[in-house]
Amino acid sequence: MSRHARSLELLKVPTVALSGSNIVSYAIGYDFKYTNGMPVRYVAVPFPITGQPKAVHKAYVRGPEPLSGKPMMEAIEIALTKPLTAEERVVTTAGDMASIEPRLLPADTEENLQQLFKDREWTDYNPIILPTEERVKRMLTGTSHKADELIRTVTFPGGARDLTVEKVAIHAVMAGAKPKYMPLLLALSTRAPFATSTSSMANTIVVNGPIAKELGMNAGTNAMGPYNEANSVIGRFFTLISKTAGDMRNNVTAWESLGNNLQYNSLTIAENEDLLPEGWQPLHVQMGFKPTDSVVTTGTGWSYISSLGEVQPSYPAHQLIRDYMRALSGSGSGATIFVDPTVAQLLKDVNGFKTKQQLSQWLSENVDKTVASYWGNGVITTSNIAMALQGLEPYATWRKLPGDALIKPFNNPGAIQVVVVGGAVQTTWFATDFRLGRGVLVDDWR
Amino acid sequence: MKRSYRSSALLIAFAASAFTAYAPDGITAEPKITVMNPAMPSKLAKRQALSERLDTLEGKTIYLVDIQWGGPEGGYSVLEEMQAWFKENMPSVKTELRRTKDNMFSDDPALWKEIDEKGDAAIVGIAQ
Repeated sequence: MSRHARSLELLKVPTVALSGSNIVSYAIGYDFKYTNGMPVRYVAVPFPITGQPKAVHKAYVRGPEPLSGKPMMEAIEIALTKPLTAEERVVTTAGDMASIEPRLLPADTEENLQQLFKDREWTDYNPIILPTEERVKRMLTGTSHKADELIRTVTFPGGARDLTVEKVAIHAVMAGAKPKYMPLLLALSTRAPFATSTSSMANTIVVNGPIAKELGMNAGTNAMGPYNEANSVIGRFFTLISKTAGDMRNNVTAWESLGNNLQYNSLTIAENEDLLPEGWQPLHVQMGFKPTDSVVTTGTGWSYISSLGEVQPSYPAHQLIRDYMRALSGSGSGATIFVDPTVAQLLKDVNGFKTKQQLSQWLSENVDKTVASYWGNGVITTSNIAMALQGLEPYATWRKLPGDALIKPFNNPGAIQVVVVGGAVQTTWFATDFRLGRGVLVDDWR
Repeated sequence: MKRSYRSSALLIAFAASAFTAYAPDGITAEPKITVMNPAMPSKLAKRQALSERLDTLEGKTIYLVDIQWGGPEGGYSVLEEMQAWFKENMPSVKTELRRTKDNMFSDDPALWKEIDEKGDAAIVGIAQ
């Protein structure tokens, strides 16, 4: 909301921005410094606001403002009438550097440096490999790209930080990677930082093509568990690079109320292309890449539901997947279904899904939930209400239907992906709400 | 021979004590190493000044704008309560209660223009 206040202030309209006390400290601190640039006057409302009865809101308005302790409406009046300070009149013409970050850190003992990396929130609080110049130089032998090449300027959540090949190599060392991992890690870095929110956002990384075997990734038994070096290190790397590239610090720029344990490893897997049923294409081929291309794909979501038990002939996998998907929000119609190769084979041979797309289409047409449940999700309401208010279908109609009416929230089958992974040990699967983005060609970074 | 062994032992003990004298608290000094900095320097946003404030709210028109964070029901009634407070405590203040046209992520230039033309001040929010 600080940018809305900024728009009004630029029109010379004195404005006060109003928000929950949890948001205000971020807005007047980090957001002002690195994104908005205008010292918007905020008045905080006690938290939580959404979901509270009107009587509580009335008490908030007639009670003290959390930051100043003054009565709420007096704080509003002050914000709109108190003359500007010299600091509030400051104008600069260009973005200056907030701080100097030397290429090398001051020499210290290994123990002190390990602690420094934790204190600066550059780690996941497990020990890291310290990035000496020699180790980073060795890591850079894994790519033909120059150390000072700019991959991208990271603007989220503000600060315009330059992410270079050398910074990727530093994080690769920290995560325990080998030089041969570099092309994949560089491709993955084009998607850093990972998504985060006040909700419990998480991410997934799916690797396809020859690079998976080159790095020894696990697409089979325990692919999602702590049983493979490459899967573990790649996922950890994405966490570390996301934290520094995104300057993510707890309660400063990282605000997930509960957080998400998947952020430790971002559910990093390779698709089991060797055991795809005939007619089922690998994920990257579905996206238009060649089978011989190496591709890394990231996705963002929140939820990860296991089938638990084996597939039962009386109630086949696609029907139970449909049922479990009803628990997902349907945000962006996004879902990724991870199925063991044995489940994929059953779905094809017994249930007649000759391609992944046929399964996606069936799920899109058969997953339903009530209107009340759909709009009862805050993320859905916050993001999709715009389309409903603009009259875009089906959201406008869904907005008007009675609460117990059934709708099909996964209305875009193209956003429902199926990934085959696992060791053919049990006929099991996961339904998730990860929405996958466009894959990145790893070969561009060799 | 016995005396020779004793001399050697004393020499070793002396050498050991001389070495540990360089290490405070009896701990062998850890070598210092230099490592590369993973941090990427951030750039500050371009600073812009606030607009001049009002002398008083009395007799002014204030727009109360809900950006719909958390949906249309998220915090709208907080602004309704503010509107009620103004009516009760500062009746000369005219209030206009609005929502942005889409959601919290969308800009609403038409509304900002209306506020610029018809309003004197604005309260914009809320979440969460």
